[in-house]
Amino acid sequence: MAEVAIGIDLGTSNSSVAHASEGNVEVFTNIYGETITASVVAFEANGDIEVGNAARANIIRDPANTVYSAKRLIGRYFFSEEVKKARAFYGYSIEEAENHGIRIRIRDEEFSLPEVSAMVLRELKAIAETRLGTPVSKAVITVPAYFNDNQRQATVDAGRIAGLEVLRIVNEPTAAALAYGFGKGLQQRVAVYDLGGGTFDFSILEIGDDVFEVLSTAGDTFLGGDDFDDRLIDLLADEFHATHGIDLRHDRQSLEMLKVASEDAKKGLSEDPEVEIQLLDIAEGPSGPLSIERRLGHDEFARLVGDLVQRTFKVCDEALQQAGIVASDLDGVVLVGGPTRLPLIREAVTTYFQQEPKTDIDPDLVVAMGAAIHADSLVDPQSSCQLLDVTPLSLRIGVAGGLAETLIERNTPVPIEQTRTFTTFRDHQESVAIRIFQGESHEASENALLGEFEFAGFEKALRGEVEIDVTFEIDADGIVNVTARDRTTHGEVSKRITLSSGLTKSEIESIVARGDAERLTQATLPPVEENIEREPASPQALPEADFLELLPADEELREGDTTAEMPIYRANLEEIEPHSVQLDPDDESETDWE
Amino acid sequence: MEPIAPSEILALARLVDQIDYYRLLQLQRDATTREIQRAFHTCSRTFHPDANRHQSSQIQAGIRPIAKRITEAYTVLRDPRRRALYDEQLDSGGGVRLTLSRDASDVTAPNPRGTSAQGRQYHALALQNLQQKDFSSAIRNLKTALTFEPGNETFEKLLKTSLEQMDSHPTS
Repeated sequence: MAEVAIGIDLGTSNSSVAHASEGNVEVFTNIYGETITASVVAFEANGDIEVGNAARANIIRDPANTVYSAKRLIGRYFFSEEVKKARAFYGYSIEEAENHGIRIRIRDEEFSLPEVSAMVLRELKAIAETRLGTPVSKAVITVPAYFNDNQRQATVDAGRIAGLEVLRIVNEPTAAALAYGFGKGLQQRVAVYDLGGGTFDFSILEIGDDVFEVLSTAGDTFLGGDDFDDRLIDLLADEFHATHGIDLRHDRQSLEMLKVASEDAKKGLSEDPEVEIQLLDIAEGPSGPLSIERRLGHDEFARLVGDLVQRTFKVCDEALQQAGIVASDLDGVVLVGGPTRLPLIREAVTTYFQQEPKTDIDPDLVVAMGAAIHADSLVDPQSSCQLLDVTPLSLRIGVAGGLAETLIERNTPVPIEQTRTFTTFRDHQESVAIRIFQGESHEASENALLGEFEFAGFEKALRGEVEIDVTFEIDADGIVNVTARDRTTHGEVSKRITLSSGLTKSEIESIVARGDAERLTQATLPPVEENIEREPASPQALPEADFLELLPADEELREGDTTAEMPIYRANLEEIEPHSVQLDPDDESETDWE
Repeated sequence: MEPIAPSEILALARLVDQIDYYRLLQLQRDATTREIQRAFHTCSRTFHPDANRHQSSQIQAGIRPIAKRITEAYTVLRDPRRRALYDEQLDSGGGVRLTLSRDASDVTAPNPRGTSAQGRQYHALALQNLQQKDFSSAIRNLKTALTFEPGNETFEKLLKTSLEQMDSHPTS
């Protein structure tokens, strides 16, 4: 029998676990017979930790000690917008840790995000072990396509804390396509429309006999079913405020009640054209308790969220353009995520794609099923499944002027490597800062910083004379490796960029070693490792130390000009060996501007 | 999946810097886009690291550079514009590898930040100047940006705003 490896859909609101073997996929049920387990962790006063649907009730009963939507926070920095929003609206306490990391404070204990997510993962692992009757140590875990490297790495760490070797992090829409197409001998081009609780992802794949090639992927990490709930919360709270002069959003418990009622109303609208919202005793008025009683219809809800739905199609436009196709080229559209059950979503999708979406697989389970198929293909040498994935975000290097140049553009298939030549910015410069960014902005500060290192040891020379080859590499596991190499001395520095989950490898090991991870607090050990740097990147206030930003080799200062402080591009073809660097056509057109 | 002889893999790993993308994917120079995609799928079945997880570490190490080069070949050949450039390069004896374009936006759509490197550069500098309320430098940089891209609406709009700001803050 082949090794056992499970597939886990670790969702913002709900999670699922599945196993595939010899073409059969099974989604496991928990002890309550449910295939969906809430991604909620409740810390009880007696020290017990409850995970899943039972813990969900605690969101209202004990908001300060119940962690939900941890996925919205994992791998993010304390100062990020998402964390600010969570601090304002979530019932539990989110605090700043070293290196702009975050910790969740529960009574007198602190937990990192990977630790909290590990509790959910451990629950899912236990469900699988019970159903399979065998220990499980390997898994494929899915994440939104638009998760950056920090968020992916933090998810891998969560897996390790939970005692799982994470074979691969797979994008949710990709997993869904595997579940849709595997073993059917399809020759199709399909799109996956994945509207989850917190994110929207859209991917286009070419399926040919169990080879799944991702053509393009695009997404919005700030758009999900929760935003639909928020609209309804605001509507109800505004109406209540207008009638009674009380803002329910100012009371934590009222707000949590509104949240649950809004989510239930939304879910109800997936089944019925109209739902009844009833919130008894939600606030105390001058003459006794006040309640909300109201009906909500499909059309009113559709108007309330219409612009959010349209935003998803902007993302679809982008992915179609990147794949170089139009909607009518698609053979099918697969729906993923609970909110896609809403008739208003299905109607909008049908209109946009000019075809009925595929609804034969449960949109809540399709991702876990696909993860399981991929997990099986990685442990079973006989599996016919081959996934050819792309990198969802561009990889960039920081250059002078606060800009970030692309080395590997998004939607490039992996594994891949790219080399470009750079030079120094000032005369007699002794070192350069290699800063690695991920994102789609030309401005460095608008991208996620994955890490940085200093490269020195080249011979001091006039600016522009030093030539440094910088190679970015993404392997099949999505791990980024960056190498800087001086052409003259052949000195080389290589860095594996697995930074910034906020935990170092040794911290994770010590959490794991202590066994009872649930009871563990923040680790503070320094990073120690064989050649692999894992210090969390410090994204703010990048040091303007005694080393300077490097510039591309085709860029240098123009002497005697009134705009002398401004770097100017100048292609320098003859100085570049044909084998290592060719300039792209846009640069060539710029060679003779001077 | 077809098993490959270890000696074959190691030989190909050594040769990978010398063979062009067409030979690597076993394609004719006039291959269609569909054939290129099919060749990529076939080669991936043999050389993708996932398909070789059960091989010895020596073979896995040999396969890694081949897999990366296959992806690179596919990325260039499937894109008509890059393919044309590559064909030109091959015909003129200019090497067997092509570096991919640095900006997706350069290839696919007009970039509001500028379509030329210089335009983008000066536009970015102007934005920095504006943050520091240095309107005269911003105006100078925007004018320079416009010499590279006459008629760029983003630049013109920003220049107009900067001139207005300058008038209302004559001291800065």
